[in-house]
Amino acid sequence: MAHKLDVLGLFDNEYREDGFRTCSVTGLEVHRSAENHIKLFGLTAVVALLYGGIFAFTVAMTRWEVIGLLEPGAFYTHLSLHAWNLLIFWMVFMEIAILYVGGPMVLGRRLPFTKIAKAGWLVMAAGAVLVNYAIWTTEAPNEAPLLTAYVPMPISPLFYAGAIVFILGTVVAALPFFATMWFEKRENPGKTLPLVSFAAFVTSIIAVEALVGGLLAFGPALLWRLEIIEWWDAAWYRQMYWIIGHGTQQINLVAMIAVWYFVTHVVAGAEVASEKISRTAFILYLFFINLGAAHHLLSDPAVSTGWRIWNTSYAFYGATFASLIHAFTIPAGLEAGRRKRGKGGGLFGWLTSAPWSNPVFSSTIFSIILFGFLGGITGVMMGQLQLNMTWHNTFATVGHFHGTVVLGTTVAFMGLVFFVIRTMFMRQYISERLAAIQPYFYSAAMGVAVLMMMYVGILYGIPRRTAEVVENIPGTEFSLSAAAPLFAVFGIFALLAIAGGVLFVLVAVGSLVFGDRVENGDNADLVADGGLGMAQDPDDPVHAYEMRGTFVLCLVFLAAFVITYLLNWYLLTQLWSIGA
Amino acid sequence: MTSPIKPPDGNWWDQPVNRRESIWLGLGVGWSLILFGWMSAWTRVGDQNPIGETFRVEDEEFREKLTDYKERAEETDDGLVPPEQDVYLQAMRFQWDGAPVVLETGTEYDFHLNSMDVQHGFSLRPEDALSKQINLQVLPGYEWVVPMTFDEPGTYHIICNEFCGQGHRSMHGTIVVEEG
Repeated sequence: MAHKLDVLGLFDNEYREDGFRTCSVTGLEVHRSAENHIKLFGLTAVVALLYGGIFAFTVAMTRWEVIGLLEPGAFYTHLSLHAWNLLIFWMVFMEIAILYVGGPMVLGRRLPFTKIAKAGWLVMAAGAVLVNYAIWTTEAPNEAPLLTAYVPMPISPLFYAGAIVFILGTVVAALPFFATMWFEKRENPGKTLPLVSFAAFVTSIIAVEALVGGLLAFGPALLWRLEIIEWWDAAWYRQMYWIIGHGTQQINLVAMIAVWYFVTHVVAGAEVASEKISRTAFILYLFFINLGAAHHLLSDPAVSTGWRIWNTSYAFYGATFASLIHAFTIPAGLEAGRRKRGKGGGLFGWLTSAPWSNPVFSSTIFSIILFGFLGGITGVMMGQLQLNMTWHNTFATVGHFHGTVVLGTTVAFMGLVFFVIRTMFMRQYISERLAAIQPYFYSAAMGVAVLMMMYVGILYGIPRRTAEVVENIPGTEFSLSAAAPLFAVFGIFALLAIAGGVLFVLVAVGSLVFGDRVENGDNADLVADGGLGMAQDPDDPVHAYEMRGTFVLCLVFLAAFVITYLLNWYLLTQLWSIGA
Repeated sequence: MTSPIKPPDGNWWDQPVNRRESIWLGLGVGWSLILFGWMSAWTRVGDQNPIGETFRVEDEEFREKLTDYKERAEETDDGLVPPEQDVYLQAMRFQWDGAPVVLETGTEYDFHLNSMDVQHGFSLRPEDALSKQINLQVLPGYEWVVPMTFDEPGTYHIICNEFCGQGHRSMHGTIVVEEG
């Protein structure tokens, strides 16, 4: 029965008397309470994506100075809105939804304490609205906060208050997830969690660490702005801020990897090549990944060299090693699983025979590839103490995090939204063809735009966060106009990428509103070849299947990694002598 | 049982690992150690490191040092010629106080970087080779002493690369490096 407010019929799936239904694609027992809250948080995330995406256009068209759309004042406001709505609100609402998938849905449980979940949503939404309001109403002497709101820049206290409210709301919204885990372990003390649930649990712990950092940064900053405390140290703020600033991006990363395991399994028959190895990688994340917050302090005065080297390397590259593990285990699981299903002739037959016209699958694979090659490798580059001097605060940094958060996380989450439209909202796409091409179009265009951001940053030293620097620097003859041709490429591909983003919203929202209802059996095309039951045959272990295609792909990846590393170091050694 | 959405049963920890997966793990460990070792070694043997002594400093205290330095420096058409090897630069909305400055190649200068108000970014490149560029964070309350030795003469441009307010984009300074 649909609720009277549910005019679009988005929350009206049929459940049995006990409140559960069996998903025809995943075979999971899905409870009404879990499903409806996943939808609530997921839909809110898409609203934030749509809203923040509008500013992608205005920001990119200002940075492309030939267009020069906005005046500096408006530019910083739009940049702040772009950052907070996409990097924080789109991601975090989606991640709460993913926690509810990884927890209650995968475990076949109901979502406990639904009132707390709703209260969390309300507080998060209030925080998000407050942050947006504070940014829109920024008045002199206050400045727009951008993402970082660095002390001692005068920034509206309302902004810090909104950020704190949002953080608290997120913690509240995560509580029903923690309760689910608690109940599950109490009832089944000897049972191992499924890998996706385990990954979601690791994500949630990393998230809590990040959120605590946020309170330590924004709390005192708010008190300082209200003149309750006298001075709030710039270096201390930076260190606390980046616990959340970088930590939230690590939540994105780990949640995204959980989605990779989930989706490759469900729609393409991937299996877990080794539970031991994959889980160890998540444990490495748990211990080491948040040390990566130090990446932002490498070219800073206040932290010691030893501190910087230890933390930036995640303690001897513990988290990089973990990512290298997933870089193998996910494609290997796909390769071995598909070979087992008779879909893997030759070196790459498992890949060429995969369901490439299914946007759920293609989004996921593009996310894996582009995150690795563009986001991951560059992250390690700029995370090296010395190379950081050539990346810090340049447009290349912006390229890096569009490689991780857009090409990686956003593309993966778009794939997940496509999946949820079919399997939870029970709607057909309004256009199969548009849905099928969207991941190709968006990923390709965004990929080129991201590469250009990196090139102009590294090769021409274009700074980030400025409205004008290529065509003209006010007050001097000097300019960085040599970068103009690459900026033209950037501008064109940014426009194409934005068109790809619009296409996503059109297909997603269009399908929800106008899509035909999925009837019994309509989702059969989503099910992986051979069905998911094959993953549970103990006499046919997946690790015994060939993984040579994956091995070759991983060697290509490692070669790209090494070459990029050498090029970056070559550029650095061309510089004059710097530092003690 | 190798589904990521079902609990693995039995002794999953002792399941064998595919040989190629083991090889990849070895490569991963090796690469991680190389990344760490190279970065660590470069702080001892390399010429480019974002490393220098840092002192806490009050705004007025640094102002006094800067004023004293400017009085002792020689003023030329191209800018200040520092009296010794110390070069003082204070960032403020929206200029670099202490610039322009005239230096020589081959001499090691100690750059004293500080901000008078908000956070700024010290982004430096020679005019004719934009790919040679470095970026350092400049914080109020801290004096960062970073040594630099230029090997090529030319005009080097400082631009601010940390958002510092509406005039951020106009915050520019120069360092003229002459043959020493």
